[in-house]
Amino acid sequence: MALLVVENLSVGYQTQNGYLHAVEGVSFSLDAGKSLGFVGESGCGKTTLGMAVMRLLPSNGLIREGRILFDGEDLLTKTDEEMRQIRWQEIAMIFQAAMNALNPVHRVIDQITEAIYTHTPSHNKNEAHEQVRALFKFVGLPEDRMRDYPHQYSGGMKQRAIIAMALACKPKLIIADEPTTALDVIVQDQILEETKSLQREFGVSIIYISHDISIVADICHDIGVMYAGQLVEYGAREEVFDNPSHPYTKALLSSYPTLTGEKSQLMPIPGEAPNLINPPFGCRFSDRCTEASVSCKSNPSVWLEITPTHKVLCHQCGKHCGE
Amino acid sequence: MELKRYIGRRLVQIFVIFFVILTVLFLLFRLAPGDPVSRMVDPNLTPEDAALLIKEFGLDQPLLMQYLYYLKNFFTGHFGFSFHYGQPVVQIIWNRLPNTILLFTTSIILSALVGIFLGKIASWHKGEKTDICMTLGALVTHTIFLPWLALIMIWVFAYKLGWFPITGMITVEIWLDPQAGLWTKALDVLYHMTLPLATLFLIHFGSYLLIMRSSMLDTLKEDYILTGRAKGLSEKVIRDHHAAPNAALPVVTSVGLSLAFSINGGALTETVFTWPGIGRELVFSVSHNDYPLAQASFLLIAIVVLLSNLVVDILYAYLDPRIRY
Ligand SMILES: Nc1ncnc2c1ncn2[C@@H]1O[C@H](COP(=O)(O)OP(=O)(O)OP(=O)(O)O)[C@@H](O)[C@H]1O
Ligand SMILES: [Mg+2]
Repeated sequence: MALLVVENLSVGYQTQNGYLHAVEGVSFSLDAGKSLGFVGESGCGKTTLGMAVMRLLPSNGLIREGRILFDGEDLLTKTDEEMRQIRWQEIAMIFQAAMNALNPVHRVIDQITEAIYTHTPSHNKNEAHEQVRALFKFVGLPEDRMRDYPHQYSGGMKQRAIIAMALACKPKLIIADEPTTALDVIVQDQILEETKSLQREFGVSIIYISHDISIVADICHDIGVMYAGQLVEYGAREEVFDNPSHPYTKALLSSYPTLTGEKSQLMPIPGEAPNLINPPFGCRFSDRCTEASVSCKSNPSVWLEITPTHKVLCHQCGKHCGE
Repeated sequence: MELKRYIGRRLVQIFVIFFVILTVLFLLFRLAPGDPVSRMVDPNLTPEDAALLIKEFGLDQPLLMQYLYYLKNFFTGHFGFSFHYGQPVVQIIWNRLPNTILLFTTSIILSALVGIFLGKIASWHKGEKTDICMTLGALVTHTIFLPWLALIMIWVFAYKLGWFPITGMITVEIWLDPQAGLWTKALDVLYHMTLPLATLFLIHFGSYLLIMRSSMLDTLKEDYILTGRAKGLSEKVIRDHHAAPNAALPVVTSVGLSLAFSINGGALTETVFTWPGIGRELVFSVSHNDYPLAQASFLLIAIVVLLSNLVVDILYAYLDPRIRY
């Protein structure tokens, strides 16, 4: 059974200029022990999606419709207290702004054990400390730094501490929101390796959010490409990577150097993402799409199944693929 | 350890600042127009006693020598004799100091603690009735003219209702009664202290409440608060354990900064309530041209403020590990 099933999820924010459609009709599912990556440019709704699953949206955020089934239960019908129990125990999160994700006035070890005590009050101090020691070892942090304060850590160390913290309650799912964005390439690589081994050793499912498709392709079994609040292409890594079908995915792939080092022509995507307060009726990418036709702008786009494990939200693809 | 170095550095700074104050005071009292002898020596003294004092303070010497005498006298605790009381100034000051410290520190600590607590509650109920009432209350009490408030307090609670004594710090009968235990005496002081304490508290807690409230609102937007929520912590733990300790830091800073300014109100309050403290002595000595007493009161108040600042700094370092380590 799938661990997480998201069906037709729409999330928005109440803003001064009106209701902003940050995520529209997103559906996906994630099996236990698998990893799913979301890519897309800044503002396409990746963080909003992650926060919605945790039900941690800011006060002006609203889940308008859809279902989020975790282990078969709809998270949207849970009470706040039930949700509190699920957070970190079942679903942990690594935030985008990891540099400030630790409280400056508490020791790192206390912030990790706090999560353990909150969800397993029966743990005594020794057990909890033993557990933190093991986690530190796993993420490659020196044990004698456990009692430090966050400001005594480097950025990379903080990020590892947060990964250790995310693992503290052995969650079934970890949502990692651009965990490596602020780090240099070498540390970034190390953290990526750790993320992979964490998945192997703990069997935890991961939702990995990034704007860098090559990172996501490196880590994840499945890839979801997002554009302007919508999922536009979704499928197994190899299929999306080898056979990108949505014009936006193609553009994304060509605008990043590949991990293997092959130099391809970097192609920036001209134009800007549409306004999410009044999103266009038709395909949202049509204004920037080189393959768009008139019907793209006048009709809402529909999902097309390329293979059972690869779908795309595009009018044109149907024609191409059909050819 | 870092903390020791930090305190050491602060001590050196405090010493330097104090030395500057000492020197400025000396210049102020010597260079003011008029005869320095008439300022340091009681005009009612016999000529022999006067000569002795002039010698002790080096008042017949050139200015530089006078300054050295002044320093020596300061460090050996010779401040001369009060014109009014005819007693050594040190003795007077020494008797008044504990009273001032009692009233002053109690009011500061109380107003800071209550301000922090209420500010936290207000921020938590932002925009609701609780918040609006608290913020308004804080603004009003904060802007009230202190002598007016003190008089109103006396008029209502001491004169009209008769709940509290109008003046003084003790009931003489109780303190003369050999049967009265320490506890009774302490309660008696507390009874006398209530009105001046309430006055100082009302004047001060509002600004701490407002600072804490806005600081809490900022802190609640921090990423580590989101982490706390994601960790499944209860709202109470997030508020009290994660937000409040960080939000209270600016309040502590502001306590340190406002110490020097609250002297003013302290002196006024002591005067209105005839609380036998240094502030009242200062007001009295200045208005009665009791120069030796005025000089010593100034100095002592400077010392009290500097040392309380040190205490605030140490407290800050204790609360904020980024300073401690
Ligand atoms: N609190 C908020 N109030 C109003 N609008 C918001 C809020 N948070 C995000 N948005 C809007 O929602 C949209 C999606 O934002 P989101 O943060 O999910 O993007 P993202 O894909 O995570 O971007 P990035 O890669 O920059 O992190 C954006 O248009 C953004 O302006
Ligand atoms: Mg984001």
